[in-house]
Amino acid sequence: MGMNLSVEIGKIRMKNPVTTGSGTFGSGQELSDFVDLNMVGAITVKGVSLEPWKGNPYPRTVETPAGMLNAIGLQNDGVDNFISQKLPFLRQFDTPVIVNVVGQSVEEYAEVARRLDKAEGVSGIELNVSCPNVKQGCMVFGTSVEGITEVVQAVRQATSLTLITKLSPNVTDITAMARAAVDAGTDALSLINTLLGTAIDPWTQTFRLANITGGLSGPAIKPVALRMVWQVAQAVDVPIIGMGGIVTGTDAVEFLLAGADAVAVGTGTFINPKAAVDVAEGIASYMEKMKIDDVRELVGSVKTL
Amino acid sequence: MRDEISRVVADCEIIEQVEVAPHVFRSVLVEPTIARTSKPGQFVNVRVCECYDPLLRRPFSVHAVDPEKGTFSLLYDVIGRGTKLLMEMHVGEKVSVVGPLGSSFDVGEDPSARHILVAGGCGAAPIHFLSDWICKKHGCDKVTVLVGAKTGTALLCQAEFVAHGVEVKLATEDGSFGFKGFVTELLASHIEESKVKNPDSAIRIYACGPMPMMREVARVCGEQGIKSCQLSLERTMACGIGVCMGCVTKAQDGCCSHHPDEWHYSRVCTDGPVYDAKELIWE
Repeated sequence: MGMNLSVEIGKIRMKNPVTTGSGTFGSGQELSDFVDLNMVGAITVKGVSLEPWKGNPYPRTVETPAGMLNAIGLQNDGVDNFISQKLPFLRQFDTPVIVNVVGQSVEEYAEVARRLDKAEGVSGIELNVSCPNVKQGCMVFGTSVEGITEVVQAVRQATSLTLITKLSPNVTDITAMARAAVDAGTDALSLINTLLGTAIDPWTQTFRLANITGGLSGPAIKPVALRMVWQVAQAVDVPIIGMGGIVTGTDAVEFLLAGADAVAVGTGTFINPKAAVDVAEGIASYMEKMKIDDVRELVGSVKTL
Repeated sequence: MRDEISRVVADCEIIEQVEVAPHVFRSVLVEPTIARTSKPGQFVNVRVCECYDPLLRRPFSVHAVDPEKGTFSLLYDVIGRGTKLLMEMHVGEKVSVVGPLGSSFDVGEDPSARHILVAGGCGAAPIHFLSDWICKKHGCDKVTVLVGAKTGTALLCQAEFVAHGVEVKLATEDGSFGFKGFVTELLASHIEESKVKNPDSAIRIYACGPMPMMREVARVCGEQGIKSCQLSLERTMACGIGVCMGCVTKAQDGCCSHHPDEWHYSRVCTDGPVYDAKELIWE
């Protein structure tokens, strides 16, 4: 059985192509009762900011057909707390740790990256560019070429860790954002973040989320995610982590075929705490069935009819 | 109150489905680990269908356990799609269950304490398990259960509480059964009664029910100087295991903070569902 499941995302070597969607796997410890953390390709932890963020009022989630909306507001205890309280637990596993980074200004992103760069046990940084730039009119960084360029450049200068930019799908042309991130020095891309949506209760005639809008995730968004991964894979030449509605091994294979080098399981973990490991095993059994020796053979090999 | 125990994901066979009151069902499931390790107040997260719509699991508090038979039961009001799907499942079918999850009621070590349990509507589900638990640990003569509902037919578990051998008092909002009024009015008068009858015993209060009831229980406990008042909250949940941060409630930083501004959003699925009333901030 010489099957190869390992992939490389920048300097990160993953033993299988499956990581976790930021914000769906906590800091890993929460899931350790259910899965062997050595069995996932990489652990992508919940977004950390420079200072602690309180998050949004309740209700923060609402179920939608084959999906859910969330407006958590990136509640977290800050990067220093993450490094001192959460990271030590993760060091005992033979699994790379990718830390998702959030910020309200370019300086905040860069400072969080600098602190993570010095911390032992961090392999990569995933930049969440779907946050508003509070210092400059609250425009979301990741929805303009200028915004994404500025934040990726600043973080690139702050760290030599593998830098993954997580693209927002809430744009007209995602390939323009992908190119901007690559030109600004990102090592890899991950996509897609959630799609902006809302939900209304007709009987109370109110919004269902306290924040009004939230991010849509789950199987409902998979076709959109697949299309965007495929488009970005055509446009740029850096590794891609594909995500959006992956629940099964064959869901993941579809993303690999579209051009992703690795995948992330997000909302799938909510319905099955073992989903990330099950997806990795599902990819392996697919390869066995299809007589494919190397997972990298799948990447971008989708054919037209 | 958080219990560090091993939690399971398991496909559980349903061995009993009973309508115990109008729209209220009891489902009995087989899972030895959950039956053996669950504590009162904890919950399980149930995948009510093998489908993507509804997508998310549904949390249910553990209503009863039988460690010898390896079974546990859920008691729920059929109010939405999730509960309807669970109710419609047949005996012999299996459902995926994650649990036991969350914090549990702390019944203390004081053998002379009096325990007053307040159940509002379907809040009787975990209170039933708790009543049984305290009976076994401290003796049924120390326990009073106050059961409240809108009307007599909605009162839950009174026969089971009587069977445990605990004192039971009933309240209905329409007066069709027992005391006419809110169960919290019954609580206030019962605490006063208990203080007179057992002046040397500490009083411990436990409650589960709708939020307005819980808020009133917390207020009555504060007014009466009750030191131990534990409330089990209900929230819409996505993950149930502490990672999504969806099911939050406002809580004081640290224990019993004197600075009301120092609060955080606490995860009901993991830091709760059982909270000391003093930790909670009401809005």
